[in-house]
Amino acid sequence: MSNFEDADTEETITCLQITVYHPVQLQSGMFQSIRFYNREKLPSSEVVKFGRNSNICHYTFQDKQVSRVQFSLQLFKKFDSSVLSFEIKNMSKKTSLLVDNKELCYLNKIDLPDKCMVRFGDYQLLIEKEDGESLEFFETQFILSPTSLLQENNWPLQKPIPEDGCYSSYSTQNTFPTEMDENEL
Amino acid sequence: MAAESQPEVPLAVRLPSTEKPLTVLHVSLYHPTQDPDTFANVPPKLQHDTNPLLVGRGPEAHLQLRLPCLSRRHLSLEPYREKGGTPLAFCLKALSRKGCVWVNGLTLRFLEQVPLSVVNRVAFSGIQMVVRIERGTSLEAFVCCFHLSSSPLIHRPQAEETDEWESKPQEQPPPSSGQRAPDHPGLHHGPSHPSPGGGTETQLQEPPESMLC
Repeated sequence: MSNFEDADTEETITCLQITVYHPVQLQSGMFQSIRFYNREKLPSSEVVKFGRNSNICHYTFQDKQVSRVQFSLQLFKKFDSSVLSFEIKNMSKKTSLLVDNKELCYLNKIDLPDKCMVRFGDYQLLIEKEDGESLEFFETQFILSPTSLLQENNWPLQKPIPEDGCYSSYSTQNTFPTEMDENEL
Repeated sequence: MAAESQPEVPLAVRLPSTEKPLTVLHVSLYHPTQDPDTFANVPPKLQHDTNPLLVGRGPEAHLQLRLPCLSRRHLSLEPYREKGGTPLAFCLKALSRKGCVWVNGLTLRFLEQVPLSVVNRVAFSGIQMVVRIERGTSLEAFVCCFHLSSSPLIHRPQAEETDEWESKPQEQPPPSSGQRAPDHPGLHHGPSHPSPGGGTETQLQEPPESMLC
């Protein structure tokens, strides 16, 4: 049924760029089945599932803590729009899904903003949509981030660097920056 | 074989292994030709998980309807939950590139979708479908109970705003927050038409001619 070749006049394709990060990504290999930088073309009718079960999910995280199906992306078209929109749906009974600051429980879904931060557990996914004309297909591209995607870590003022110049690169959003008086070192 | 209508249907269908009653979708189907082949593959009851339920002509459809003008994947009913710990809600999405789906006064084109209310009038490819949702609390699965009707489920009233869907902004049907009394599906926004007494068929507004292909 799937024919990914578009023989008609070329239409631009909506692209979903997904930048991922997990604090122990280098040791644990949870992203090893994801083909980073590869552009994958998918039909717009597809429900794209993310999770641990590779038989069910399109994109798999190799991590026992991840639900068999963690969340899914569904495409639809808004009435007043000519381009594709996305919905994200939490498919995990165990873990909440955070979309920016909105919390989704099991089977909750919301429209995916054009650029947003999706989180579950320690996983961070920055999802950015670039609109295209086609309603038939869309494209995904995964990028691996070496550092945390969260705002706090991008603000030098919020995370004072200790005198010795070293700090953990595996800090998560749960680590609050601590103030250090130079007399305490 | 037509699914029998059971006047004493229990409030909800219970799964033996859990205490939680399943949400039941009571689906009435009608096609004017009354060809027994159209609904030959419709079971009396169908239990489904939380994935979208696919309706169409194709082999992968969960509800397979046999009509040449129907798309292989024509529409889907997707279970989900609204925020706030509510039970299952459903969203109907049009999947046909050629045909459209008329839902509660709204015309849906390819990939357009709308949340369902407690009672819903749906028309596509000449098929009339009334879906009444009886909410259970289970989040594992839901059940569809099918009833085949020998008379129209949706019939002619005044003109619908959907006749000019291109030029007018679409009006979403109200969420099922009690604005529609479940026992009187004929009552809806605009001029009220009280539903006639008796019978399981509800006399509701007719979709535009283009839906009755």
